[in-house]
Amino acid sequence: MKLQTKYFGQIDYGQEDILTFPAGLFGFEEEHEFLLLPFEGSAGTLLCFQSVSTPALAFTAMNPFALMPEYAPELQTQELHSLGVESSHDLAYYVLCVVKKPVADSTVNLKCPVAVNPDTRQAQQVILDTDDYEMRHPLAQFGDGGTREASAC
Amino acid sequence: MLILQRKTGESVTIGEDITVTVLGVDGARARLAISAPKDVLILRSELITAAAANQDAANEETTPLELLEMIAGHTPAVPPAQPFEQNRMKGKEDSTS
Repeated sequence: MKLQTKYFGQIDYGQEDILTFPAGLFGFEEEHEFLLLPFEGSAGTLLCFQSVSTPALAFTAMNPFALMPEYAPELQTQELHSLGVESSHDLAYYVLCVVKKPVADSTVNLKCPVAVNPDTRQAQQVILDTDDYEMRHPLAQFGDGGTREASAC
Repeated sequence: MLILQRKTGESVTIGEDITVTVLGVDGARARLAISAPKDVLILRSELITAAAANQDAANEETTPLELLEMIAGHTPAVPPAQPFEQNRMKGKEDSTS
């Protein structure tokens, strides 16, 4: 199948590439299908949730663990249940980004990650029940703050 | 703003047909039962701020490619892995426990 995308021109995709959001995203409850497309050169850090039904709708997303290795989302039991997993560790997480101009003012929503069950490709945006994470965390704060040491793998 | 204290089992009535009852309090968390007509929209307030954040995320002010340039300098170069793998929490729980 072909899809006109917001950032990647026309692409080919298959049914198996689709992530299903039964509840949509907050404020976009009728958007149930997205493709997760990585931006080349970002090593998987910067991606995009491209709506399948609305070509002009795409959310820039980031890998929260690349920004903050200690990020530890904990979902509520009913959320885990509807995603078909037993533990928050069974899911993959993405955070949505508000891209501002200048770009250094951009923020990420650590409080409302998109959780994906990699096995079923079912996804859900959740609101974490914690004050540890903000909905508009400045990206610049992750930058050259000097908290990250050169890591040996 | 009106501030009231209510005990478990007590309620407040708003207007003619909305009743909020405190079912219980557990630490910092209160369980509320809300009885209201069907046409009254009841939302956890943070849903509204979450929807606003998503709305802003859908209307980016500049191309994400600029973001790519910005982050390229200070994100660790993770080798391409299986999809989803690098988006998991570290210290994965032992599934046998």
